[in-house]
Amino acid sequence: MSALLEIDDLRVTFGTRYGEVTALDSVSLHVDAGETLGVVGESGCGKSITALSVMGLIPQPPGKIAGGSIRLNGEELIGANPARLRGLRGGDVAMIFQEPMTSLNPVFTVGDQIAEAIMLHQNVDKAQALKDAIALLDRVGIPSPDARARDYPHQLSGGMRQRVMIAMAVSCRPKVLIADEPTTALDVTVQAQIFDLLNEIQRDFGAAIVLITHDMGAISEMADRVAVMYAGRVIEEASADDVLDYPQHPYARGLIDCIPALGRDDHRLAEIPGVVPPLHLLGAGCAFAERCAHKQDRCGLEKPLLAAHGHHPVACHGIEEGRI
Amino acid sequence: MSDQTTTEYQAESPAREAWRMFRRNIPALIGVVMLTVIVLATSYGTFLYGGDPFEIVWAPHEPPGVTPEFPMGTDYLGRDLIAGLLTGGGPTLAVGLAAAAITMAIGISFGALAGYYGGWVDNLLMRITEFFQVLPALLFAMVLVTLFSPSLLTIAMAIGVVSWPQTARLTRAEFLKIKELEYVTAARAIGARNKRIIWKVILPNAAPPLIVSATLTIGVAILFEAGLSFLGLGDPNVMSWGLMIGANREYILDAWWPVTFPGLAIFFTVFAVSLIGDGLNDAFNPKLRER
Repeated sequence: MSALLEIDDLRVTFGTRYGEVTALDSVSLHVDAGETLGVVGESGCGKSITALSVMGLIPQPPGKIAGGSIRLNGEELIGANPARLRGLRGGDVAMIFQEPMTSLNPVFTVGDQIAEAIMLHQNVDKAQALKDAIALLDRVGIPSPDARARDYPHQLSGGMRQRVMIAMAVSCRPKVLIADEPTTALDVTVQAQIFDLLNEIQRDFGAAIVLITHDMGAISEMADRVAVMYAGRVIEEASADDVLDYPQHPYARGLIDCIPALGRDDHRLAEIPGVVPPLHLLGAGCAFAERCAHKQDRCGLEKPLLAAHGHHPVACHGIEEGRI
Repeated sequence: MSDQTTTEYQAESPAREAWRMFRRNIPALIGVVMLTVIVLATSYGTFLYGGDPFEIVWAPHEPPGVTPEFPMGTDYLGRDLIAGLLTGGGPTLAVGLAAAAITMAIGISFGALAGYYGGWVDNLLMRITEFFQVLPALLFAMVLVTLFSPSLLTIAMAIGVVSWPQTARLTRAEFLKIKELEYVTAARAIGARNKRIIWKVILPNAAPPLIVSATLTIGVAILFEAGLSFLGLGDPNVMSWGLMIGANREYILDAWWPVTFPGLAIFFTVFAVSLIGDGLNDAFNPKLRER
């Protein structure tokens, strides 16, 4: 029994002035209907590239899908014909973007934009599409949806705009909803509302959600399973509770330690030293080695593979050898 | 625009907002009034005034204000200048509009495709654009008009063919900028096809500078038409302001008026169009909006 969305050994490269760099390296993920997969990691670790690959929106060139497969309901998406992909985008797979400020077209009313999305995939006339759009605005919790549908994006607040984006994304009842940092640009209180809304939508529509974020709070609130990414690879994957409570990989531990906790008396918040190495400077070894307190010779020479060592799958020599 | 329009529940489209800004712009309104008067005079004036502009009605070179029947005087053949001015405005404006339309059509198509697709499409289209850009515009237009015998249509096409490169460059620049914006990716993410993204997503957002450019192009095209007519390449069978100037230019030292009046007519028309263009520019430019 295969999962609803399966990413298998995906490799994406980008041609840059430093030569070809590998943005995603043997990334394997899967998500089932009704499930929420959280994908966490620092900026530049490949979270968004993963999302864009699934949508078939990697700019090519300079990007290139160098290998692997992405299957939706068993149907291979890599190399599928463009018309089929267009039908899937916004139909079976929909995406919510990070910046609700800039992801709506400023010159059309939000009602028009949602109606457009509906008409691209459903055989309805404009009047019916507008009616549906208003119903969707109502569904995502926008007050007086009739009036708001005639508003332009700049007249709405950030939270409202993100609700509009969600309404647009779910307009065709997608099977997979990819949310790329949907709350990063929003106030904390609004963040919570958006998460509630996503949860509700998931319950109603039974969609699988891929939540891309760097916010561990969002993960604990939303995700069933978590994949931690670092420098284009998945380095740890397990249920959200396992990752949050028993992080294995030194990087994952670092991420969890970065969360401020109430009632803890630390004077300073822990931080992970250093930065993600530029992708063109990745050597043969573990990409995290230079920042890792447990680094040994082997870490600089050989890439660790994602495999179950003890608790759950993790890619780390130290864990494998039992020294961490 | 971070301030929320919480008190104002009336939705205002960007176009409406621009119109509101435009209405506050006094010079632009003066331009609109001037152009309206010119258009009305040249379209209805002919019928009210009557008279064939080609008909010889009086002695040649009658100065203005001497004979009450011909307040602006007559030209070197004794033709009534007022009849010429009223009749000649229509073709001049028509050529200006048509040429601007052709300019925009070619320029926007080239610029949009080049900017959107990039790569070899961009390279090919831009090299073609450069080819047209480096030809001296007036000479090239003269060659085209002579090749295809002067008529209003060929003149408009010639002007359009020589002036589109600028529009193409402007359009391309706008497309290069806008195609990177997130709402374009978002449009793709809901399954829109390239055609729709080019014409329905990017172009409306690129419209403001293009509308301004189109307006200014009308002015330039009118001047161009006058220039061609002045050089004797106008349509000899259709009275236009440029033709009047061209026909009378040899006698400019003996009689100033047959050249001056159509010249002023062209001046005021282009001036009015420019005022409108500048007004539109201000109205569309968010930085100039006081809020």
